[in-house]
Amino acid sequence: MSNTTEKALNLLRYLPRVCISNIRDNPGAHKQARRGRGQHGGDYHGAGNKGAKARQSYTRLGYEMGNNPFYLRFPFEPYYKGHHLKRQYPPVSLLNLQKLIDTNRIDTTKPIDLVAIMNTGLFRLYPDQQHFGFQLTDEGADIFSAKINLEIQWTSEPVIAAIERAGGFVTTAYYDAQSLHAMINTKKFFERGIPIPRRMMPPPDAIEYYSNPANRGYLSDPEKISKERLVLAQKYGYTLPKLDDQILEMLKERKDPRQIFYGLHPGWVVNLTDKVILKPLDEELKEYYAS
Amino acid sequence: MSLRCYFSQLLRSRLSAHSNTYKNSVRHATYKASPFAEDIEPTVKYEVSKNPEEWKYVERALPLTIVPQPIRKESYPSGWKPQTEDVKKLPYLVQRTKNHMIPVYLQISQRGVRRHTFVRKIQGDINLLEQELKEFLQKESFQPIRSQVNELTGIIRINGDHVNAIKYFLEKKNL
Repeated sequence: MSNTTEKALNLLRYLPRVCISNIRDNPGAHKQARRGRGQHGGDYHGAGNKGAKARQSYTRLGYEMGNNPFYLRFPFEPYYKGHHLKRQYPPVSLLNLQKLIDTNRIDTTKPIDLVAIMNTGLFRLYPDQQHFGFQLTDEGADIFSAKINLEIQWTSEPVIAAIERAGGFVTTAYYDAQSLHAMINTKKFFERGIPIPRRMMPPPDAIEYYSNPANRGYLSDPEKISKERLVLAQKYGYTLPKLDDQILEMLKERKDPRQIFYGLHPGWVVNLTDKVILKPLDEELKEYYAS
Repeated sequence: MSLRCYFSQLLRSRLSAHSNTYKNSVRHATYKASPFAEDIEPTVKYEVSKNPEEWKYVERALPLTIVPQPIRKESYPSGWKPQTEDVKKLPYLVQRTKNHMIPVYLQISQRGVRRHTFVRKIQGDINLLEQELKEFLQKESFQPIRSQVNELTGIIRINGDHVNAIKYFLEKKNL
């Protein structure tokens, strides 16, 4: 045996046994992972490798890959100022309303308000997205022919004319977000067992609209409204139909500016299980909920 | 013993001193669902009213649990028409939806490129209806109308947007 082999064997006798815990890879067996450039380390940004998914996958609207996108390029557009705070009134057309009446989804023998429209279950309203009720649009104004007592949040002149020509009444009324929450799902609201809130007055920029008799605002003088009815009839060239005594009481029914449900006063608690109404007796509360 | 194990044991031994309060505390999902610490009597004076006249207003505010049946009238200004008795003579029937509307829908897919019209709730001779619809739609179309019949589910799928045309066709047949 050579000297070198003997030395190596001697060394092996002293060293610990070769096992999984004391061996390691040969030097250079492992490559360092390369450091890719870009947001996701030089990969395909979730689009996969080749094919339709890599090529026909569309980026989000307004995204221009590396560019500063157009919608962010200009820092100031004054006419958009406060657009996210403006009151929104999702549209309901007269045609929609006529269809609801034709299909018996809305009872015309009772005053129609936001609660009646929401109770059809065909419309959605989101007060947290600055929705403050519905606006009645003039689509189907020519065919509209129902005698109704309608309370809506926003309308235009032709719509008012169309309803009054048919022998109905319109009122525009404001509801704050908390009142709207109670009206959107009345069953859910009554089940909560909290008092019916009092309706807040409209904000300063809406007071003018809701106190204008030309808009049939709920804060305007009723005598001025009946005068405006005649003015509008002359303008649009129709005669106001004679009011039927049977439904006159229904047509004249109005809510108090602090009231949100017909016949139910703010401050009352409705108990649906026992079918009773709880009314506050406290003087302080009575004063708070008074009109 | 690992360090984590040691810590958890230490924690357990420390907590054992307060084990009673630790075990008795119930975790409620929300603050509102948790019970009151003591029973709170209403401090506000109130009266209980059982007036049926007032309860009528509550019932008026509550939604109906079912979709009401339409009332038969001489004319419907909105253009909507109910299904008539004449449909019994036809070899097929397109049933109305629960909202009393004609079940014809438009499906848009592939980023607004592909438009398909679906006629649903078909009973009876579905192939005859498909033939008649094709003949009706072909008059206004340059290209041949492509369609698919699903007999099992009673659905006809037609290529293109023909919703208003099909509704007009079905209304003419009083369906």
